[in-house]
Amino acid sequence: MSALAEALHRFDLPWIKVGKIYRRICFLRSEGLALDAQQLEETELAEATAQARRFAGSAFEAESILQKLLAEEKERVADAIAFAEIIVPMLAERLGSLAPLPAARDAPVPRKALRETPVEPRGIADFIDDMLTQERRAQR
Amino acid sequence: MTTTTIERQPPAAPAQAAPAKPVPGKASILLLGLDLGTNKSCLLAGPSGSTDITVSKVVPSVVGYVKDGIVDGIITNNARILYGEDALTQMLHVDLVAPLAEGVISHPDAARDFMQHIRLLADPTGNAEIRAVVGVPANAGEQARENIRKSAQGIFARILLIPEPFLAALGYRDDSRVKQSGYVDPVVNSLFIDIGGGTSDLCLVQGYFPTRDDQISIPFAGDAIDDLLFEELNRTYPNNGLSRITVREIKETNAYVGPSRKPMDVKVVMGGKSRSLELGDAIGNACNALIDKIYPALATLIASASSDSVVTLLQNIIITGGGSQIKGIDTVLQKRLTDDGYENPRVRLAGQDFQRYVAIGALKAARAARENQWQVLFG
Repeated sequence: MSALAEALHRFDLPWIKVGKIYRRICFLRSEGLALDAQQLEETELAEATAQARRFAGSAFEAESILQKLLAEEKERVADAIAFAEIIVPMLAERLGSLAPLPAARDAPVPRKALRETPVEPRGIADFIDDMLTQERRAQR
Repeated sequence: MTTTTIERQPPAAPAQAAPAKPVPGKASILLLGLDLGTNKSCLLAGPSGSTDITVSKVVPSVVGYVKDGIVDGIITNNARILYGEDALTQMLHVDLVAPLAEGVISHPDAARDFMQHIRLLADPTGNAEIRAVVGVPANAGEQARENIRKSAQGIFARILLIPEPFLAALGYRDDSRVKQSGYVDPVVNSLFIDIGGGTSDLCLVQGYFPTRDDQISIPFAGDAIDDLLFEELNRTYPNNGLSRITVREIKETNAYVGPSRKPMDVKVVMGGKSRSLELGDAIGNACNALIDKIYPALATLIASASSDSVVTLLQNIIITGGGSQIKGIDTVLQKRLTDDGYENPRVRLAGQDFQRYVAIGALKAARAARENQWQVLFG
């Protein structure tokens, strides 16, 4: 059983459904699609959460499970995104002549390499990418 | 581009205007560059998809909560909260709260009120979706960043927090000349010293986004000089009755570094009588303390630059922020570097827009940010 499946089996089926929906919400937020995330939160997540709460022994228990589940899912999505940012450029490189994928901008670049790279005027968005990459690495 | 103006509050200042929540999917997008300073904040705003700047203001970072029992009509529109210049003008009738100290939020409630005011200044209609790039001190911790996000929640729709000295470099950069030969792009290889009210931030900018090692933030800046001067005045002239605001004004007019400029007679009103105080040494000592704080950090960053870049870097040391107005600060730092054997250093002042470079850089960043780079604030 995979680690993910194992983790999910700690919760009852209705809660697993909540977790899956919340994972999609986290992913949408990470892509800046706040409105889509909000819509999902207000519809599918609200409905699934209401159903799952009925399986809990008490409101307190339901809230505890929910908070734990959401925290785990949020972390899982963050880890997955960070992992993808590293692995996707590597795969692209190994697969030969594929054009660099957008996520390649986020790949960690050794500081020394940055210093030694001949400097061309860079776009401000590229600097922001550098900053966000640094922040993500600092948070891990 | 409009000129900088010290804010003049619009007359209609109702009791705490509620922040208008953006209407998802319908609102126009207004981009905001915000330099949230300890003493003064600068905001520049303009619509998305254009280069127009519709709002350009410098606002004292202060919130005034009207005291109980103030007679009707004393405060315009009987407002309960005043901001910026209005709060300072009415200081007898309000409790003044500075939302920030040493560059970070120290009073979250006041910070939130101040953010609402900023929003109102940027978008008086209250209908726009505001996306703000906000400057933070170099090396600001996660708690300081989180406090800004919390203060902005429900007021701005999206936010990006970027270190101030890097924004200053972006703001100082002349984009129209970046590809011209001979133009030294400050973003490619420079060292920025941004001296504000709460912190002095130094940042190595070398063509990539500065890492933590490239930035040093020192909690010693304009306010610390005020404190030293205030203490010295009280020691030399006990019971002088001068407020901190007056002491700050004295500093802003007379600040200098380097050898003593004694005698320096400064006229003040004490106990209703005009007096002339000799403050040459007091001001010089207080301001020279700043040099003693900044110089080791400057040397540390220069030492961390690669040997290939350091010679050019030494030609591009730029001072900005309110501290750039201290007389002689460029020449004193340059002389100290020369005396210490650095190769032909050149220290420059950013110039007359010193109060706005961070906000200019922030607005540039807001205009360039990709959709997925913004942090969405749910409110």
